Amino acid sequence: MTFSAGVAKPLRAFGEFFTVTGQTLALMPRRPFAWREYLSQSWFVARVSLLPTLLLAIPFTVLAVFTFNLLLVEFGAADYSGAGAADGTVTQIGPIVTVLVVSGAGATAMCADLGARTIREELDALRVMGINPIQSLVVPRVLAATTVAVLLSSLVILVGIVGGFFFSVYFQNVSPGSFVNSMTIITGIGKVVVAWIKAALFGMAAGLIACYKGISVGGGPAGVGNAVNETVVYTFVTLFAINIIASAVSVSAIGAGV
Amino acid sequence: MSAATVIAARYPRITRTVRGWVGEGVRIGEQTQFYGQTIAAIGDALFRYKTETLRLIAQMGLGTGALALIGGSTAVVGFLTMMTGALVAVQGYNLLASTSTEALTGFASAFFNVRLISPLTAAIALAATIGAGATAQLGAMRINEEIDALEVMGIRSIAYLASTRVIAGVIVVIPLYCVAMLMSFTAARFGTTFIYDQSTGVYDHYFNTFLIPTDLIWSFFQAFAMAVVIMLVHTYYGYTATGGPAGVGEAVGRAVRTSLVVSALVILFVSLAIYGRGGNFNMSG
Repeated sequence: MTFSAGVAKPLRAFGEFFTVTGQTLALMPRRPFAWREYLSQSWFVARVSLLPTLLLAIPFTVLAVFTFNLLLVEFGAADYSGAGAADGTVTQIGPIVTVLVVSGAGATAMCADLGARTIREELDALRVMGINPIQSLVVPRVLAATTVAVLLSSLVILVGIVGGFFFSVYFQNVSPGSFVNSMTIITGIGKVVVAWIKAALFGMAAGLIACYKGISVGGGPAGVGNAVNETVVYTFVTLFAINIIASAVSVSAIGAGV
Repeated sequence: MSAATVIAARYPRITRTVRGWVGEGVRIGEQTQFYGQTIAAIGDALFRYKTETLRLIAQMGLGTGALALIGGSTAVVGFLTMMTGALVAVQGYNLLASTSTEALTGFASAFFNVRLISPLTAAIALAATIGAGATAQLGAMRINEEIDALEVMGIRSIAYLASTRVIAGVIVVIPLYCVAMLMSFTAARFGTTFIYDQSTGVYDHYFNTFLIPTDLIWSFFQAFAMAVVIMLVHTYYGYTATGGPAGVGEAVGRAVRTSLVVSALVILFVSLAIYGRGGNFNMSG
């Protein structure tokens, strides 16, 4: 009995999550689309994510560029540090920092907001008034997270490459011209497009998990806290899994190197 | 009417900006004070609240609530580092193969996993599991006025709640980081030798040649440093949560944001301090 209850609970949560996902996807093209909510949520996610993005992108790339340059200097190939910086930033650091920011900043804020509304029974009130909370609240949030994730990933790549440039040129004495020249050797438009696709997938998954956790909150302040905690953990786990699969697919589709 | 009120009424905008700055300064000061008190009370927590510390160690290792169902923080840390270790195989092997040097994937695993990937991934996983859990617990206690009740009963709340969690976090991080390193090495090796069909002898040769034991020890030191920082940040945000149920959620979000940034910076500066410009690395062995 206890065993079956222990197994049934996570399975039920899993099923509910897919129900919410299915409803959200089905309601996306349905009118009326909640434009106002979409715009205000996009602005909200962008606002909470912008500063963490900048602050995370710089240490991540600097650390990667530093480690990679040590290796290149040892090989006597420091001129290629731009190639390493561009490839690392576009293919891995860009998407991963976007993941961290979208789930750590955007999804947590979204889940806390929806969770508080659920606790205050605002969602039930909406249902009573004949408004579907999935259409009016979840759909715009998921789309907002997707949009902002794509925009953020571009920002991360830009900030990362600029940070890597300054670190390589001023601290590790790479010549600026060869850094810029070598940037495009192994990184082309294909990889940038893959980075955008990854970011869109991340944003959508993070938005769905955050909204599901938010609308299924129960049990007062501790419940909201735990829901946000679970959102962070589940989004990280999901997004790292998506990242490895997307990387493997993109590597076999467009190749990894020269 | 004092001079200050007159000035405030005459220049409302400037006053607001200055008040904002002063508020920021006060907040930073309060945070620093909290961190100082927490660290100073660590001795107290070890002597007086031994049972609580032990209970927290057990809880952090295995997780509570829904997290325990998927295996707690150990499983999450293991899973995330497994994913990033596999990235070394996917990205590293293919990149090296494009210059026909795929034999060096073992080297890439030994070098990048130890210095770069595992510390960053472990920091992320720690902040998400142990850290965010601590914020959620402390925040709920603060909202339910349990922390005030502790103070009234004469229990030193910072020592009992924050310092014990810092100690527990630092102790738990050591086995967790062992899991993280093992998972990232295993995943990179499995991906390279099993999926991309490299011979295990080649992989192991380059892996063992370039795995520097002192780097591993420094990597553990990084894990230790980031555990302290993450636990301090997360206990602060939980301890000072305000604003009802929504406030707890917001506190968790804010704590995750702050601790990700701070732990990335800590790892960066610790690596720069350890490896320096020379890099403590010789290709010749």
